[in-house]
Amino acid sequence: MTDAPAGTAEPTPESLEVIRKFAETYAQRTGTYFCSDPGVTAVVLKGLARHKDELGGALCPCRHYEDKGAEVSQAFWNCPCVPMRERKECHCMLFLTEDNAFRGDAQTISTEEIHASAG
Amino acid sequence: MSSAAAVTDASFEQDVLQSDVPVLVDFWAPWCGPCRMVAPIVDEISKEFEGKIKVFKLNTDENPNVASQYGIRSIPTLMVFKGGQKVDTVVGAVPKATLSGTISKYL
Repeated sequence: MTDAPAGTAEPTPESLEVIRKFAETYAQRTGTYFCSDPGVTAVVLKGLARHKDELGGALCPCRHYEDKGAEVSQAFWNCPCVPMRERKECHCMLFLTEDNAFRGDAQTISTEEIHASAG
Repeated sequence: MSSAAAVTDASFEQDVLQSDVPVLVDFWAPWCGPCRMVAPIVDEISKEFEGKIKVFKLNTDENPNVASQYGIRSIPTLMVFKGGQKVDTVVGAVPKATLSGTISKYL
């Protein structure tokens, strides 16, 4: 594997907790669900927390950006992104609508589950 | 991630653009959840089309030049290359049948 350690370093527990709580609250408020594969949820939550640590904003980890710092300032892809807020579209598969084939039944995920599922 | 060989900014020309057979490239990033769902599908495709196509994965965080050159935005994105040209693009986690259908068009 050629994965750089810098790219895969763990987020701080503080950021992960902020993101975890946000995601639970937001799923409940919008009537959306986490993915039936908790590994997907766990990786995205860690990615958001990493971006919060690195950039000061929870930039979507399922996009490629020319300039991450500029994107955070622009805020379009800060979670919850504009497509999610306007149309409940989350291509990162963190928040899935009721009719989505990949959705699970959960709107909560514990810190332990995140670490166990992220792999 | 998929067990496909990694391609980089440095090796892209040789491995992908100069390939004699069509090439499937899986553009992924370390913290992209749906990339994990695509990886096993890419592995199955790699076995199913063994000898007919090549399959590579490209980490967009580590190889921003190729990712930017091909306008990668949403991840995962899968691209098919043939004769040095990008010939098709599939965005997001898709069923295996969709992907094998796309590839079959270029064999």
